[in-house]
Amino acid sequence: MATETAIESQGLSKRFGAVDALRDVALSVPVGQTYGLLGPNGSGKTTFIRLVAGLLRATAGRLTVLGEPMPSRRILADIGYMPQTPALYLELTVRENLLFFARIYGAADRDRVEEVLAVVGLAERADSPVYALSGGMRQRTSLACALVHRPRLLLLDEPTVGVDPPLRVAFWQYFRRLNQEGVTILVSSHVMDEAERCDRLVLLRGGRILAEGSAGELRQQAGAPTLEEAFLHYAEVAGELG
Amino acid sequence: MLRLPVSWARILAIFLRILQQFRRDRRTLALMFTVPVLVILLVGYVVRSSEASLSVAVVEETVDPTSSFSAGGELLTALEQAGSVRAEGLPRAEAEEQLDDGDVQGIVYLNYAAQAGTAIPKLDVELLLEGTNPQDSGAIVRAVQRGLLQVAVTGLGISLGLPELSPQELVTVEVSYVYGGPEFDFVDYEAPALIGFFAFFFVFLLTAVSFLRERSSGTLERLMAAPINRSEVVLGYMLGFGFFALIQSLAILMAAVIILRIHYEGHLLLVFLIAAIITVGSVNLGIFLSTFARNELQVIQFVPVVLVPQGLLGGVIWSVDSLPGWLQVVSRCLPLTYAIDALRNTMIKGQGLADSGVLGNVLVMVGFAAFFVLLASRTVRQQVD
Repeated sequence: MATETAIESQGLSKRFGAVDALRDVALSVPVGQTYGLLGPNGSGKTTFIRLVAGLLRATAGRLTVLGEPMPSRRILADIGYMPQTPALYLELTVRENLLFFARIYGAADRDRVEEVLAVVGLAERADSPVYALSGGMRQRTSLACALVHRPRLLLLDEPTVGVDPPLRVAFWQYFRRLNQEGVTILVSSHVMDEAERCDRLVLLRGGRILAEGSAGELRQQAGAPTLEEAFLHYAEVAGELG
Repeated sequence: MLRLPVSWARILAIFLRILQQFRRDRRTLALMFTVPVLVILLVGYVVRSSEASLSVAVVEETVDPTSSFSAGGELLTALEQAGSVRAEGLPRAEAEEQLDDGDVQGIVYLNYAAQAGTAIPKLDVELLLEGTNPQDSGAIVRAVQRGLLQVAVTGLGISLGLPELSPQELVTVEVSYVYGGPEFDFVDYEAPALIGFFAFFFVFLLTAVSFLRERSSGTLERLMAAPINRSEVVLGYMLGFGFFALIQSLAILMAAVIILRIHYEGHLLLVFLIAAIITVGSVNLGIFLSTFARNELQVIQFVPVVLVPQGLLGGVIWSVDSLPGWLQVVSRCLPLTYAIDALRNTMIKGQGLADSGVLGNVLVMVGFAAFFVLLASRTVRQQVD
């Protein structure tokens, strides 16, 4: 399945009761890039990620993931999902958590488990139960669980919340390596300097797209020195129009 | 609805994970096996020691003027042989004093009265009971009645003037039991009920809590983002908790048979089958109800709602037939009622799967289980959507 676009959405909307979580979102995420969803809490980042993960059904619009129209169970095996909270079995060790999720994905490969453990720097804590780990280590375990089955698309919902700066840098270095291996990464964040590291970005507010482009393009178009100021500029423009 | 086919590898993954989680949670594991065993042992010791500690006084106020036969002496012998209550011959005043003090729980008064038209006097029996504990009273009444029966048999021989024949030769009263036996007691009746109750109780509670954690920690969401379907999750849970429920049933059964020496006529595989069906029902009920709990405390709130009514009305302590009519209707709506009846029928009566006392109940249980499976499979994803 040769596709240049990992995620493609058109007119995508999701409504929870009376609340519009996403409104008419059209996005195109190229394969092998790190694509950022940037916006404040409640802007629709998590909703978009959960739609791509097959956890939600869209109220309206079209969503294609790795060439498959969603919802599709078949494509789930190619997706790795890291939720906002670590979402691990606390009584199990790091290795047991990894093996469990590997088995669930039908990819129980012990060598791969050790490889992923090394990547997130937890080889030495592999036999510690998760409840004995610090927040950062749990976050790393959670990332490892999303990676263990070699997904082609990695969905990361605020992966670096509560992660200290050195680890954050390590995470981003690893994301780059994955991109080089052809893995597409969709990452949400509300930290602006982190967004700078993405290849492309979409700015979301109130479930709508404010702007889309690379960090440099977004700053330039807004005539703002920082992404934060650019965001405020686009928000103001959208406010005037809407 | 359940969608087939399922992947055994994924079901096995969940099964293994539940085993690992249990292995880490030693306290829950210990509780699951020691509590039921302890409860059945306590029931056994309490029931058996309280029966043996009952005593009655026999007051023979007058003697038969026509013969040397002593009804009081015979009754004492009979009670002693039966062994369920202790008995002692006492004068009236002393007996009543002991009843006041609580040393005896009942007094049997024996009086001979002359009968018109015959030389053989009539024996009047009165039984005065302390009466605060109905269970004790019942035990005394039964013991005294049995003793008097023997006295009557012995007395008959004397009255007929055939002293050379022993009463057994003259009249034989043979007591036989369809089920159980003379030593059959409350413990024999309780053991099947406790197996059923604890299988239901622990599996329900542990599933509800585990599933609540899956929901609140986000691991369920993670599972749902994987190519696993709901029936695989539910089946994995059933295997995992079913495994522990069977070991638990075996532990209760061993304690009851080996330590308490209950009268066990059942087939182990059938007991396991019934426990397994209970597990299927309670795993799924646990999954379903966990949807309505936001935290562990709210899971505990299901105990009085789900477990207490079944404990009271399901025939654990009081038989369903002894309940008032409308409560019997309620108890017929509870799955545990059928499980306990099936367990009693196989463990006490030795019925097999083909016997109606087992098969009928098992079919109803399967119906309940299927209903709970349906409820659970509809709610597995909830809170994720």
